[in-house]
Amino acid sequence: MHYTFQWRVAFNALPDMLWGALVTLEVAVLSMVLGVFFAVVLALGSSSQYRAFRGAAATWVELARNTPALFQIYMAYFGLGSIGIQLDSFPALLAGITFNNAGYLAETFRGGLRAVPPTQMRAARSLGMGPVQAFRLIVLPQMFRVVFYPMTNQMVWAILMTSLGVIVGLNNDLTGVTQDLNVKSFRTFEFFAVAAVIYYLIAKLVTLSARLMAYRLFRY
Amino acid sequence: MAKGFGVLAAAMLTLAAMPAKADKLDDIIASGTLRCAVVLDFPPMGSRDASNNPIGFDVDYCNDLAKALGVKAEIVETPFPDRIPALVSGRVDVGVASTSDTLERAKTAGFTIPYFAFKMVVLTKDGIGIKDYDSLKGKKTGSVSGTFEALALEKDVKAWGAGTTFRGYQTQADVFLALAQGQIDATVVTSTVAAAIVKEGKYKGLMMGGDAPYDIDYVALIALRNEQGLINYLNLFINQQVRTGRYKALYDKWIGLGEAPNLTIPGVYR
Repeated sequence: MHYTFQWRVAFNALPDMLWGALVTLEVAVLSMVLGVFFAVVLALGSSSQYRAFRGAAATWVELARNTPALFQIYMAYFGLGSIGIQLDSFPALLAGITFNNAGYLAETFRGGLRAVPPTQMRAARSLGMGPVQAFRLIVLPQMFRVVFYPMTNQMVWAILMTSLGVIVGLNNDLTGVTQDLNVKSFRTFEFFAVAAVIYYLIAKLVTLSARLMAYRLFRY
Repeated sequence: MAKGFGVLAAAMLTLAAMPAKADKLDDIIASGTLRCAVVLDFPPMGSRDASNNPIGFDVDYCNDLAKALGVKAEIVETPFPDRIPALVSGRVDVGVASTSDTLERAKTAGFTIPYFAFKMVVLTKDGIGIKDYDSLKGKKTGSVSGTFEALALEKDVKAWGAGTTFRGYQTQADVFLALAQGQIDATVVTSTVAAAIVKEGKYKGLMMGGDAPYDIDYVALIALRNEQGLINYLNLFINQQVRTGRYKALYDKWIGLGEAPNLTIPGVYR
C-alpha cells in the first residue's frame, strides 16, 4: 500500500472528535432511557388481554427486530419527511434508535417478566398492595435484575448505531465529525482509526460501569 | 531454433514475473483495464441512464482516457466521501470524480491540472422566498458533506449564526430529497447539477436562487500522490483533450449552456 500514515493530523483533531463523542453518548443514553420506557410498555402490551394492544406491540417488535437500523433511521428522517413530518437530524436519529432499542428490549423484558414467578405478584397483592404498586415495587425490580446484562448489550449496540446518524445529515456526532474531517483532508484511515478507538473506549466504559452498578444494585 | 525460442520465452516469463518496479501507469497498461472512480449521482458529470448504465461527462472522460491508454475502461461507482479510500485500497486507478483541488487534500492525494471548472448557484424551492445568496441568512441549508460548495457554505453559515443551520449529507440524491421534502430550505450546488436537476423535474418545485459568490471551483483528476508517472500522463491527456476540441465537444454534449469553462488562470503557471 502506497500510503504514509500521518498521525499528527489526527491527534490535532482529537478535541473536536471528543466533543463529537459526547454527542454520540448523549444520543445513546437518551435512546436507552426512552427505549426502556417504551419496552416496558410493549412488554406489558404483548401480554395484554386486549387484541389491539397485542397487535400494536407485536407490529413494533417485529419491525424493529427484523429490519435494518439504517432503514429505521432513514424512515424516521426521509420517510416521515415525505408525509410532511419534519424531524431534524438529531431527533430523527434518536427516534430511529429508540424504536430499535424498544423493539429488542421488549422481547428481553418479556422473557424477564416470565422469569419472575407469578406467585410474587399474588403475594404482594395479598399484602395489600395495589396492582400498579405491586408491579412497580415487586415485579419490575426483579425483572431488571434478570435483564440487566442484556440491557448493557443493547446500550453498547445503541452507541454503535449512533454512527448511522451520518446518513441523515448529523454532522456533530463522532462519526459525523470524523467524516467531515475525512472529506476535508482525505486522511481517511487516520481519522477512522482514532474514531474506532474512541468508540471502543466508550463501549468498554459503559460495560465496566454497568458491572459496577450491577454489583451495587443487585447484591443480596 | 525451437530451443532458442524456449529460452527466450523463459527469459520473458522471468522478466514478467519479477517483482517489477513497474509503476501504476505500467500496471494499468499491463492489466488492460483502467478503473475509474466516478460519482454517479452527480448529473450531468455522472449518473445512470434508464437501463442503469453509467453515463455523463466523467464517464465519457474515463472512456477517452482508456482509449488513449489502449485499455478497457471500467467505471467504479464511488460516492464523494469514498474517493480516497477507493484509490488507496487499490479498488480504482484514477478518480474522474469532480474532485476540487484544495491544498489540504493535496497533502494526501495526487492532483492533476484542472480538467473542469464549476460555478456555484443556490438551489431552493418555490415559496420559501430565497432570491439570492444573502437571503440564505436564517434559513436551513445543506449540501454534500465535504464538497467544495459544502465547505464554503458551512463557513458562511457559521459566520451568519442566528438560526442559520447547515446539514451535511452523504450523497447528492439525499440533498435533493431533503430539499424537496423541506428538511432544508436551500442548497448550493454546481450550476451544471442545478440545471440538470431542475430540467429533469423529478423533484417538484425546485428552482434556482441566484449565483453563489464563491471562487471558481476547479476540479482535477486524482491518483495516488506518489504516482508521478501516471499524474504526468494525466496532465498531458487533459491538455490534449482541450487541444483536440474533445473537451468542448463533451461540454456541448453534457452541459450545453454557454461556453466550456476556461481551465487556465491568467498570470500564473501551474
